[in-house]
Amino acid sequence: MQRKNFPLLKPLFLERMQKLLSEKSDFQSYLDILKIPPVRSIRCNTLKLTPQDLKTRLENKTWKIKQPWKNHPEIMVVEGKIIDQNQIDKETINRKRRDNKNVVIGNVENLQPGELGKALEHLLGYYYIQELASMLPIITLNSESGGFILDLCSAPGSKTTQAAAEIKNTRTIIANEVSLGRIKILASNLERCGVTNTIITKKEGTALCKRLKKQNFQFDTILVDAPCSGEGTLRSSPKTYLMWNIKTIKNLPKIQKNLVTSALEILKPNGTLIYSTCTHAPEENEGVINEILKENKNLKLEKIKLPIKPRPGITNWEDKKYSKEITKCARIYPQDNNTEGFFIAKLKKTK
Amino acid sequence: MSIKILNKSEKQEILNKLKNQFGITDIQGLLVKCGAERIFLFQGSLNQKEIKKLEKIVPIERVGIYFAKEQNNLIRLSIDGILILKNQIKKNIFELNQEQMKEWMCGNELNINSGLNDFVIIKYKNDFLGTGKASENKITNFIPKARRLKK
Repeated sequence: MQRKNFPLLKPLFLERMQKLLSEKSDFQSYLDILKIPPVRSIRCNTLKLTPQDLKTRLENKTWKIKQPWKNHPEIMVVEGKIIDQNQIDKETINRKRRDNKNVVIGNVENLQPGELGKALEHLLGYYYIQELASMLPIITLNSESGGFILDLCSAPGSKTTQAAAEIKNTRTIIANEVSLGRIKILASNLERCGVTNTIITKKEGTALCKRLKKQNFQFDTILVDAPCSGEGTLRSSPKTYLMWNIKTIKNLPKIQKNLVTSALEILKPNGTLIYSTCTHAPEENEGVINEILKENKNLKLEKIKLPIKPRPGITNWEDKKYSKEITKCARIYPQDNNTEGFFIAKLKKTK
Repeated sequence: MSIKILNKSEKQEILNKLKNQFGITDIQGLLVKCGAERIFLFQGSLNQKEIKKLEKIVPIERVGIYFAKEQNNLIRLSIDGILILKNQIKKNIFELNQEQMKEWMCGNELNINSGLNDFVIIKYKNDFLGTGKASENKITNFIPKARRLKK
């Protein structure tokens, strides 16, 4: 289903994306997929029920469920609702087809807007609505997400709830967020998902790390899902694009780098730091990681295993040259796997 | 937010009430009180001393999840508290039919005589749907707004 009112993309944004996607057909595929809303993906909350139980429940509601990644049955795509051909006449199906809000493909019609969030299973915390690409940073950790975990920019809690489910509510997660409004959303999501191993703190990220360091708190795993320009979220919220400007992209790396630098101070030797953003801008991605690697000789980038095919981090952007190591980072473009756009780097502290 | 981690005897007091009300005999983890009534459950690996150390250096907004509320010397379990302890709940359970479940999840009180008094656990098939307050001809609903079905 194509959107009718997709915002006109700004020339500078297009120019930058064209530089990143130099092949004409690749760039065109990117532009084409932006006009299509992302798939409706959910993550089964394994703290409350098994993926099979959830799948059965949702299928009983006539929802068509796909589990796109073999090794991650908890991750599901809701393709729509199966229309019972005996209950509905041909004319009604044709009317639904004509109505853009309720497109019918074969015998499957789209869910109504908001239907995923209003379902009983969602209200009871049996699943979390989360975009596929946003599930990847925690998948990157695999089962290593050990010991004491810090989620530095935690709200609204998608990755925190995913990490808690991954470690079955054991160990401890410190979920930090600076905005009180966003803390309310975070707390509500943690409650709905039955996350009992988490402490929510309210502090600006770098200041939190400094205070934790003073008291000798050290973490085995740190997630820095950094504030970013959000270029990768164009499919789900085209309106956020209206806020896009190059000034933000030039200013954000300083904040992002400060967050990572302070987080590294409280990362244990052999600990893992995952840096992620939902933007394509190299300044906020490879640029930040390159600087961090230059300044910290006790760090190495690790290759990332994902259930989708990412592209390697880039080593040239405008007048900048990045280390070859940067190719171990993962760039996720929407046209490659029918997701949103994302960037992930996995750093290991060697000593 | 000022937090008070309940000591062994305070936790036992809560547990005794839960045993009387619902047959619950064990709660793993720390119980934390915020304000006079609200009780949170924390099941992470950090101990009491470490949480206190953390509290000294950074504002803590939540420890674990909202689990129950003390009300008139009784315990009212939150919807999520019930889901954590559901395997231990043995009594004061009221089962709904589908129509009642829809009413309940919309946040409405149920005009029925449950034959029970005080706090009851509401259940529909395998789903636990929170706590209600049963009185002679109705069950009062405590489902928070954010968790209600919208018609």
